[in-house]
Amino acid sequence: MTTAATTRSAPSHLTRLKRRTGGGEALVGFLLLGMLVFIAAGAPWIAPHDPEAIATGRVLGPPDLGHLFGSDALGRDVFSRVLYAFRVSLSVAIGSVILAALIGVPIGLIAGYRGGRVDAMLMRPLDLLLALPALLLAIALIAIIGPGALTVLVAAALIYVPILARVVRGSVMVTKQMPYVDAARARGVAERSVMIRHVLPNSVGPALIQGTVLMGFAIQIEAALSFLGLGAQPPTPSLGVMLSDGRDVLTQAPWVEIFPGLAIAVTVLALTLVGDGLRRQLDPRGMAR
Amino acid sequence: MRALLATPATGRVLDVQRLGVRFEVQDDVVSAVSNVSLTIDAGEIVGVVGESGCGKSTLAMAIMGLLGSTAHITGRVELLGRDLAGLTVEERRQVRGDRMSMIFQDPLTSLDPAFGVGDQVAETIRAHRTVTPAEARARAIGLLESVGIPAAATRYSDPPHRLSGGMRQRVVIATALANDPALLIADEPSTALDVTIQAQLLSLLRDQRDARGMAILLITHDLGVVAQLCDRVAVMYAGQLVETATVEQVFRAPRHPYTQALLAAQPSAGLARGSLRVIGGQVPDLSDPPPGCRFAPRCPLVRPECDSPPELLAAQPGHSVACWADPATHPGAAATASSTGAPRGAAA
Repeated sequence: MTTAATTRSAPSHLTRLKRRTGGGEALVGFLLLGMLVFIAAGAPWIAPHDPEAIATGRVLGPPDLGHLFGSDALGRDVFSRVLYAFRVSLSVAIGSVILAALIGVPIGLIAGYRGGRVDAMLMRPLDLLLALPALLLAIALIAIIGPGALTVLVAAALIYVPILARVVRGSVMVTKQMPYVDAARARGVAERSVMIRHVLPNSVGPALIQGTVLMGFAIQIEAALSFLGLGAQPPTPSLGVMLSDGRDVLTQAPWVEIFPGLAIAVTVLALTLVGDGLRRQLDPRGMAR
Repeated sequence: MRALLATPATGRVLDVQRLGVRFEVQDDVVSAVSNVSLTIDAGEIVGVVGESGCGKSTLAMAIMGLLGSTAHITGRVELLGRDLAGLTVEERRQVRGDRMSMIFQDPLTSLDPAFGVGDQVAETIRAHRTVTPAEARARAIGLLESVGIPAAATRYSDPPHRLSGGMRQRVVIATALANDPALLIADEPSTALDVTIQAQLLSLLRDQRDARGMAILLITHDLGVVAQLCDRVAVMYAGQLVETATVEQVFRAPRHPYTQALLAAQPSAGLARGSLRVIGGQVPDLSDPPPGCRFAPRCPLVRPECDSPPELLAAQPGHSVACWADPATHPGAAATASSTGAPRGAAA
């Protein structure tokens, strides 16, 4: 009887977890992302080798037990380098979205809530930013402040501010029409509180989803800029730099190229799944559950 | 904050004089409310009836001061003897939710889905009273209990979607009563609910009125609700008041042809299938209303005078009507009554 009870309660836990995270794939996404964040944070302890240690005896060595992902043109351990590079990429991704949200969300909130001239004054300059191609903007910024992981973070944030501001503004414009906003005013809640306490929490959903998607893009932007030599500077390992290095030895030692590429793909996949799950979770039609 | 407005000795809570609301929509000017005068005393329930789009809700929002900047308001709204137009924005906020509060039509959407229901009551208290969060919480629970929410303390943090429609409207009523208002405006408070819940909520409103002695302005299109709950009625048509009277007077002897038609249009249980009475014609376009009486195009008693607007005049104590054909306010009107009796719209 007890076994029957446990087997019956086990799937109900899983169902509850699935529901809370917004579906099976999203659960996979959350677990994957959690694992990736754990790996990124624990890189110094997990990495079996020094990512910058050059070993002439192991140039382009194939994967084996000591070197899971093989070694690159300078004999450095690809597994350790992927771990460290991933750490940089994920920090840039998360940091850029947080920085962009800190600036973009308040702008979008005020623009959408106040409307009219305030809206125009806040959003027009951002539209200008939006009109420029993202990578071009990033390259221009790097030309001004110089290359480096931090610059990439700021550049990605700059690209994301107008995107997040637009998303928030749009949902604020819908939310502020809701009867409960008028009702809050009718209860004598001050305008600022109405905006921050009632409009904002009901408007951040889309921005949250957009944020996870943008994190995925940030990984790609960081890789692209590093690939071009504009991101993290050697010897700091970076997924983009590794891709660039691996390209030269693609035919002889494909593992140098494949594993950093896989790391990017898996991270973007995890973020997309999480974004999807959040969207399903925050869908107003799912509210009555 | 209570010092801002105190109940005067006369008991007059709301005094609306010649209130008009115009909206400028692109090049059009829509006059949603024109020339509405209305008073409510403490402890009184006054119903405003009229069909959809006649300006009832706009009137309520104008009194609350919740219409946006696109609305042009004329006339005077006095609450507890103070002209609300003379208050600053912050003073108006202090009045809202404190001296006067409002219940909205749809309880499903007038509570914030991201907030616990009790928090919304507590927030209303804290917007007007200097109390600690714990005190506000305790008071909110007390209020929720007083409007009939069982286990209010455990319900406190529930989001609105965990409650039924009737329970949600009770929460809405609790937020409206949170600071013991002098005036409660209820905009179709029971329309979105089914009939048994409707009856419960209406008796809740009546009980709260009896207990607190507040004035209620009840906006509805349902004459049955008016008959059950109200002391006086104001009938609104196309943004204007056409008749004001006690409930007795309106149901026993309606004077305005629109009121008469409205009462005749009420379905009753004995009515044969397919024999619903309707009022012919349509509500006039408020961006281009008829120059005189706005009901004239649909009126069976239409006459030449109807080309100029009729005034709301007292026909007998407590009963006023705005109609050229009314024999008490326009003596001699009966003699010139149109013999055809056909609505002008039908003749044209």
